[in-house]
Amino acid sequence: MTTDELEQLLAQQPVAVLHRLARGRVQRHFRAGKRRLIELLLQHSSQNRAGFESDLLTLIGERQAGPTSGSPRRHEAPPIAHKKAAIRSSESEPSDPPVSLTEWLQGLGVPAPQPFVQDPWQIEALAAVSETDVVISVPTGSGKTYVAIEAARRAMEENRSVIYTSPLKALSNTKYAEFSKIFGPDKVGILTGDRQENGQAPLLVMTTEILRNLLYDAASGEIDVRLDTLGLVILDESQYLADPERGVVWEETIIFCPSQARLLLLSASIGNPQDIADWLTSIRSTPCRLVRHSKRTVPLRAGYLHPNGKLTPLFRTLGIPQGHPGHLHPEAKHLFMEYEEETLPSGRPRR
Amino acid sequence: MPPSIHPVDLISALRQKHLTPAIVFLTSRRACDEAMEAFDHANCVLPTTRQEAIAKALEQVMARHPSIAEHPLISIVQRIGVAAHHAGHLPTWKIAIEELMRQGHLDAVFATTTLAAGVDFPARTVVITQSSIRKSRDFTDLTAGEVQQIAGRAGRRGKDHVGFAVITPSPYIDLSVLTKGLTGQPEAIDSQFTISYPMVLNLLKAHPHEHIQGILAKSFAQFQLNQRAEVLEQKLDALHIKMEPFGPRVCTDWITQWHTFDHARRHRHTRHPTYRAEPPEISARLPFLTPGRVVGFSRGRGIVLRQYRSKGQRNSMLTVLRPESAVTECPVTSVKEVYDRTYDCPETSAYPWCSTDTFDRLSHQLEELPLRLPLLPILVSSNNEPLPDAIVQSLEDFSCPTCPSRSACQKDFLTASRLRQEQQRHTKSIQALRTSLWHRFQERVEVLQTFGYLTLTTQLTAEGEWARLIRIDHSLLITELIRAEAFTGADPSLLAGILASLAHDDDRPGAFPRISPGLSSLLGQVRKLAESLSPYEDPPLLRADVAALVERWVADQTLTWIGLCRLTTMAEGDIYRLLARTLEYLSQVQTLKGTHAGLAESASQAITAIRRGVLEELP
Repeated sequence: MTTDELEQLLAQQPVAVLHRLARGRVQRHFRAGKRRLIELLLQHSSQNRAGFESDLLTLIGERQAGPTSGSPRRHEAPPIAHKKAAIRSSESEPSDPPVSLTEWLQGLGVPAPQPFVQDPWQIEALAAVSETDVVISVPTGSGKTYVAIEAARRAMEENRSVIYTSPLKALSNTKYAEFSKIFGPDKVGILTGDRQENGQAPLLVMTTEILRNLLYDAASGEIDVRLDTLGLVILDESQYLADPERGVVWEETIIFCPSQARLLLLSASIGNPQDIADWLTSIRSTPCRLVRHSKRTVPLRAGYLHPNGKLTPLFRTLGIPQGHPGHLHPEAKHLFMEYEEETLPSGRPRR
Repeated sequence: MPPSIHPVDLISALRQKHLTPAIVFLTSRRACDEAMEAFDHANCVLPTTRQEAIAKALEQVMARHPSIAEHPLISIVQRIGVAAHHAGHLPTWKIAIEELMRQGHLDAVFATTTLAAGVDFPARTVVITQSSIRKSRDFTDLTAGEVQQIAGRAGRRGKDHVGFAVITPSPYIDLSVLTKGLTGQPEAIDSQFTISYPMVLNLLKAHPHEHIQGILAKSFAQFQLNQRAEVLEQKLDALHIKMEPFGPRVCTDWITQWHTFDHARRHRHTRHPTYRAEPPEISARLPFLTPGRVVGFSRGRGIVLRQYRSKGQRNSMLTVLRPESAVTECPVTSVKEVYDRTYDCPETSAYPWCSTDTFDRLSHQLEELPLRLPLLPILVSSNNEPLPDAIVQSLEDFSCPTCPSRSACQKDFLTASRLRQEQQRHTKSIQALRTSLWHRFQERVEVLQTFGYLTLTTQLTAEGEWARLIRIDHSLLITELIRAEAFTGADPSLLAGILASLAHDDDRPGAFPRISPGLSSLLGQVRKLAESLSPYEDPPLLRADVAALVERWVADQTLTWIGLCRLTTMAEGDIYRLLARTLEYLSQVQTLKGTHAGLAESASQAITAIRRGVLEELP
């Protein structure tokens, strides 16, 4: 076999075979891309060409015989013996046939209009917010705003005033317009850095900074902002607590929030909502309730679109395989590898 | 094959599979704008009925926000039903696009990943083209939370059965970041609590100094610090249990004792070998301690018979003839005096190291010595040898070598000292975790005291009373500027210009419009002050071009929005944000009516001057 032939043969092999060949031959071979791997293997093979070639041929032979002899052995293997082994096996072998594109695209279209039904978590949150502080952590687009509106309505029916804060001025303006439509313009006011309308209304929309300033002014006894009748404070987008520049404002607001007012924190999915709830429990008079779930209202499917216009599902399952990033659709995997080989300059390790 | 899919192909592919409307997230504003240019001559136009619907909807929005009427992208939006939506656009444009998207007129919106959180409208599909995001000049991988926030825009409640997140590769994409982000759990969030100067002033205004520690303890920051401290405390408890077998032995603190002893031992062997152990005053004597020399000891005198080295001894040794013909061996260190008297004494190779005749003569001479003898002056050269360590000198002080628990100490020392070090480290970090916030607060208090905003008893001074109303970034610089009367007599445009340069924290370059000499000299003054304050507060960028831009907008009331945009290369949206932030800063200055009436007046004039044209369109 000439070097050119060998290189061609290597190039035809899948990367997995190359990695198996490189084991013990090339250091840190797992870092290298396919081209680099071939280069390194050829470099190495100059020392022991015959041994290298025979290994390669054995591997190719094994691979061709693989599907018939290999599969029963795999089925006998214990389900989860070792974490690493489990991942490798789940990545390399099909448990079910991967989902097809037509299957994946099924269900497209507009659902028939349905009467609005409260989600269980919304009922739970609304029941809790009348008694105590509540932290809500649910995926984007689950209907947090509905909870905010209902909670505000109930508080206003009991003649308690409500403050709703959002992190962005634009968002405050949108909410002001939205709430004015729902509750009537005389019931809703807005306070932002440069806009003050209807400041005596029972429902006030503001940015979190403004609320922080109000609380500071009230603490030093300068203004009377009817904090004694304040029944509910809704902090939207509470995950801003982790914002490097503005997060501190959320903390200040929560620390200085009057104790008779209930706090309602609305947040996108975050990793540690329990911590936030525990924190609130530790500093507020009543124990805080956490309402969380991670199921999306509209299910999500992930796809892969190749630059040549070919669309395939990204994962081998229809939905998102939670916790299994390796369950890629074979076609998407193949196309992406092709793409990487074409775009990455040779000799340059993958990022 | 192109490195990434062409926008026109992307849209036709999405349309063909009925995956529209879609939001396409691209790396940069420029990528969005280039995608729009790509549609300029594309023939993927919409059917006329949809074009008319879009035109109708656009008209409605335009009636409310006239500033979008001349937007260059209008024709593309109408013909093809795609639009760009990023921070470079005016808020009114973004509102219009969001409105059209909600009504379902558009097929795709191209947005930047940086502002994924600001894209607050759902679509059927989101298209993800890269795995990293620009954060302050650097690209970092998207976190799982960010990937899910982006993917969260896919699927409209009530309008879609399913949402789609489509990944299409571009160079340097890392697919695993995205697949992990899609399938993983979002990250935990951490407190970003900082203690700013206005916070200190406001806290001290409302609460006495001794209550503050309790208030800081209520922060989420302290909550998380406590969590970490608790973990450490558990570790510390475990260490205590592990330390039990290593309690007090013969010495209470045997670990330290053994450590010093061990150290001294090792030290002696390596750095101070036996034959080099003499201090300089001893070694200076050695050349004079020759056979026949008369020397004095603490008790009595003697004559040196020979000088020699012995393997077991640290010092050079002497054989000395003592009174009554006694011959003794002693180290040189026991010699107290060296006298200026020698006798003839030829050395021999065996005991008594001189001939019998000489020995008898010397014994006799020793008895006959006068009571007083002159001392030999010996010059000690300082460069002779460095002083050996005090530890080595006191090695004999240790009782360790003969201690009954020596072997046990030696055996356990390594484990015990490692455990103890860990214990000490944990104790220190726990202490730091529990008190760090309070220390940071105290640091701020000290700075405010030196600048005269707080009295030594941490009461607010008259300066502090108004300074606490400035609750924005760079508050210390702003209050110091006001105290330095930098703005006295400055007209509203100058004030607005300076506050703009303080408020603008974006480093996207902009072209330089003409700057007035008044503003430029004031800016120099501000820069100087900012530099002198840099130990206490991060200095702002203080860009002169944005200051000049805002100054022109305030001073020249005939300047139109288009005219303003032509003065610079900054994007419309950036100019808008700059002016909006300047307004915020001005309104803070405006609250100082009570103490700085003139300044507040000029701030409110600047506010009315800024609010015109596009800025009036949005509330």
